Parts: sequence; C-alpha cells; structure tokens
Amino acid sequence: MRIVIAEDDALLREGLALLLRAESLDVVATAADAGGFLDAIDAHKPDVAIVDVRMPPTHTDEGIVAAVEARRRQPGLAVLVLSAYVEQAFATELLAHGSSGLGYLLKERVGRVQEFLSALHRVADGGTAIDPDVVAQLLVRTRPDVQLDRLSPRERDVLALMAEGLGNAAIAERLFVTDGAVHKHIRSIFAKLELAPTDRADRRVTAVLHYLEDSDRRA
Amino acid sequence: MPTGEARADQGTADRWDVLARARATLDALEHLFSGLGTVVLALIALLLVIGTALTCLVGVGLLLVPFTLRGLRAIADRERARLSRWGGPELISPESVPSGPRAAIADRATRRELGWVGAHVTLGLVLSVVGITLPMYVVRNATFPFWWWSLPQDEAASMSMGLWPVRDLYGAIGVGLLSVAWLVIAMVILPGMARLQAWPGRRLLAPDPGTDLALRVAQLTATRAAALDAHASELRRIERSLHDGTQNRIVAVTVLVGAARRALARDPATAEDILGRAQDAAEQALAELRGVVRSILPPVLTDRSLADALTGLATACPVPCRIDADIPIRCAASVEATAYFVAAETLTNIAKHSQARHATVKVRRDDDRLSLQITDDGHGGAEERGGSGLVGIRRRIEAHDGTFMLDSPPGGPTTLTVSLPCGS
Repeated sequence: MRIVIAEDDALLREGLALLLRAESLDVVATAADAGGFLDAIDAHKPDVAIVDVRMPPTHTDEGIVAAVEARRRQPGLAVLVLSAYVEQAFATELLAHGSSGLGYLLKERVGRVQEFLSALHRVADGGTAIDPDVVAQLLVRTRPDVQLDRLSPRERDVLALMAEGLGNAAIAERLFVTDGAVHKHIRSIFAKLELAPTDRADRRVTAVLHYLEDSDRRA
Repeated sequence: MPTGEARADQGTADRWDVLARARATLDALEHLFSGLGTVVLALIALLLVIGTALTCLVGVGLLLVPFTLRGLRAIADRERARLSRWGGPELISPESVPSGPRAAIADRATRRELGWVGAHVTLGLVLSVVGITLPMYVVRNATFPFWWWSLPQDEAASMSMGLWPVRDLYGAIGVGLLSVAWLVIAMVILPGMARLQAWPGRRLLAPDPGTDLALRVAQLTATRAAALDAHASELRRIERSLHDGTQNRIVAVTVLVGAARRALARDPATAEDILGRAQDAAEQALAELRGVVRSILPPVLTDRSLADALTGLATACPVPCRIDADIPIRCAASVEATAYFVAAETLTNIAKHSQARHATVKVRRDDDRLSLQITDDGHGGAEERGGSGLVGIRRRIEAHDGTFMLDSPPGGPTTLTVSLPCGS
C-alpha cells in the first residue's frame, strides 16, 4: 500500500511515517502543507492519502479542501482525514459526494495502532471509517426520534458501529456475537428506520449517516 | 454644658468655613490666572479669524481657512481641557474640523467656538485682570506701613482712597488694615468671578446636548468593540497555540507509544528508540504548555513592573541586550503584556535569525501612548513573510489598536517601532 502523508507538525508527521513504515507500509512521500500534498499526489499516484485538517496558512480546513481536490485529480484515491477535534461539518463536507474510500478520524486514534490500521485498510479497500465521536455526536439528539427510539440497545450498538463503517464481521467481533446475529440486527434496524436494505458496507454508511443527519435537522 | 458645646461647635464650623472659603479663593485665583493664558490664546484666535476674513476679501485668505479653523479648534480644545480638569462634566471636542469656509459657517460647533472667543477676550479678560489685581491690593495695603514713607506725600495720601489723610505711621497702619477689607472682598467675589469666567466656555464649548450623547455612545462603542476584538484575538491565539502546539505534541506521544507497543511485540530492540522519541515529544509538550501558560500573563509583569520584566528578558537573551525604560506611570495590564510579548518575540527573532552582536530595547511613555523601539545590529533583511513570528507580533499590536513599523534594510540595522495606546 503506497501512502502520502500531509501533516504540518513535523514531529507528528515523522511519528506517523515511522509507525506506518514499521508496519511495512510504503510511505512514499510526506508534505507539510496543501500545495506540497497535491504535488506529491500528482508525482506518486499513491493508494491512500492521510491528511491533517488544519494546515498552513489559515489553519482552518485546508486539509479537507485539499482532500476533495486530490480526489478530483485522482478519482478513487482513498483519503483518511485526521482531525484534532470532532467537527461534524468537516465530516459532512468530506462525505458530500459519497463515502467510498473515505475516512475521518480523531488524531489520537492513531495511537490505537491495531484499530487505526484496520480503519486505514478499510478505507484503502474502498470502505469508510468514521470516528466514533462523530457518530456519537449524531446519535445524541436534542429531541426524541420516534424511529430511533424503537431500536433495542443492542441494535443501537450495531447502528453506531455500522455508521463508523465497520463490516458485518468486524461488528460481530466487536460485540462478541455471531455474523448471523449481526445480520439479523441490521435487517431489523433498516426495517425500523424504513431504509432500503443493502449489504454493501459503504452504501450502508451513507444511508445511516444521511438518516442521522436528516433526523438531526428535523429535530 | 450643652450651650457651651453648641457654641464651640459653631466656632469650629465657622473656622472650617473660613478655611474652605480661603481654599476656594485660592482655587479661583489659580483658575483666573490660567484663564488669562487662554485669554491670550483666544486673542490670537480672534486676530487669526479676523485676518483670515479680511484677506478672504482679496482671495488669498481662502488658503488660510483650513489652518485658521484648525488653530481655532486647537485653542478651543485647550480651553476644553482646562475646564475639564477643573471638574464638572468633561468637555468633548467635536470629531471633525470643517474643511472650508462654507462648511465652517454651517458648522454649529465652530460658530459656538467663535462665540466663546468673543466672550473670553472681553469678559474673560476683564475678570482675569480684576481677579489678579485684587490679591495684589491685599498685599500692597498689608505691607503699606513698611514703605509708605518712600512715596511722595500726595501719592501716599491717595492710598486711603480719600477716607483719611495719610501723613504719619498711624494713617499708614490704617491703610494696612484696609487690606483686610480687600481680602474679604477677594474671598467673597473671586470664586464667583472664576465661575463666571468659565461659564461661556462651559456653555459654548460643550457639544450640543444631542450630539454629546451620540458622541459618547460612538466613542464607547468603538472602545468596547476594540476591547472585545483584542479579547477574542487573544483567545484565538491561546486556542491556536494549544491546538497546533501542545495537542499535536501529545498526539505524537500517543502515536509513538502505540508504535513502541507494536515494536515490543515484534522487535523489542527498536522499541527503545521509539520510546525515546515519545519521551522527547512529551517533554516538548510540557515545554510548550509552560510557554502557553506564561504567555497568558507572565507573573513578573503583575508582581513587578514592565521594566523589570524586560530586564528579565534581556538577561535570558543570548544576544547582549540593553534595556532603556522610562515608564513613570503604569499602563493597563493588557497593554504592558502586549509590549512584553512583542519584546520577547522580537528578541527571540533577533537571537535566532539576525546574528546581531547587540540589541537595545527602548520603552517610553508619552502621555497616553506607550512606545517601544527595538534595535539590533544584525544583518537586517527581516520581513513578515519570512515566517519569523512578525505576523503574530503585528496581529497582537493591531488587536490593541497600536501601530507597528519595521525597518530592516539588507545589511542591517533592524529597527522595530511600536506604539500602543495606554488604555489608562
């Protein structure tokens, strides 16, 4: 897997590269700003880009803008965006054109190497990785949602993991249940939320995220 | 004995009354005396206005109009400041000076100022002269018995104002006693005269009641907005240094610790190196956190003075640095903090980039501004785009409504000049 890293903080950039190289992943280039990052994408045609949201000069959302531009230049490029704090607007902006091959994680998740690597692989394989905090923010509602309230606690757990982008097997592993049980929960969730059932993980993420955002707006 | 006590109280009250009256008389004298100063200024303004008006008839005066109007405003402002110092409501100067003769005629404030000039050079002059003459009479009469003999006879005789002939010492002592009468007259009428002299200024130099309030509101809104802005930009600065500095360091620590744990399982030898880096990152995080906390308000600034804080900076600076501070009155804490950080940041820049052998920090307080000048003999060529922290310095100064000037020709020397409103 060929990786380009864009992160303005030198220590963090080198730390990330060190971590990934130790896992025998191929970090082909690192960049300290959006311009350097796009040059590296053009030059190396990587499989995955890991991008920090806040970069010079304005330290606001350069990373998101650069990620969207990189995907425009190289369709199918998997992008994992790292953020210092959860900002639902960034996630929405990033996922505006589908969620396939996209990830949005808090920076500190990198420290949980096993989970970070599985998220990275998931994104590289065209899946989705949404930070649990983003999902949690979406699930915290200001007003009760009748359809969501119909879900059992177990189904809510499954819904959250599904929104993070996890596949059936990973959900089963996380919740210590069988694949079949997960399958059954998911069918029930889709029925209760009145969503069209689908087995493809990325479509599921989009459907679930849209549902949560819409109902958030309705609330 | 109740009646005795009451009488004693009465006596004390009278004595205090006399003392208070004496103090009021002295104050009034001071005001009449300083009023004479502005009478002279008003006279100059009057001559200027008349001269300009006359020369306007032949055309050339039109060129003088802006100068005259500015002069008139400056002189009226001086009277405003004088009357404001004396107590009562503060007299605020109108915002703008009218630009031409037509605007001046239309401008109510200018017309009122002209009215004041007229009143002050006539009534004001008479009151000042009489007010200053009265105490002179008191002194002259009181000392008369000591020098009466030196006067020609008929002149000495007139000193009693014709009440009695002054031919001997007794007559002279009689004149001396007249000073008491003069003193009483002075004490009775001087305070009233001073108030009367100030009256035209208080009426005519105050803004119209309507504009007064509008002006106050505008001023307060502007200062309040500036304060809020400064506050917000300060918070933004703190947030940014926490986010992009400290937080990133700590994230790096978790990333490296994560990597080290993986390495322990796979190849323990490499874990040592990674853990070393993690420790470095943690130490950097601590150092940056300390920096952020200090940058919020350095303790030395609140405990001691700006001069002491700057001396501390100079001692810590690797480039030999001289502090030349003359700040007799302290400024607002936020202004001092800004000056301190500008100096700290600039000295760091000098040490890092300039290769200077010597630096000087000069701080002065001129009226309501704090000026700061930092000079080094390094190779110059400093510019804001160099990422040398100059942008941050400018932002901090502008947040306080200050000015910032950088002069750094290639080859040096570099001079940074900053001026901040004191806010106190």
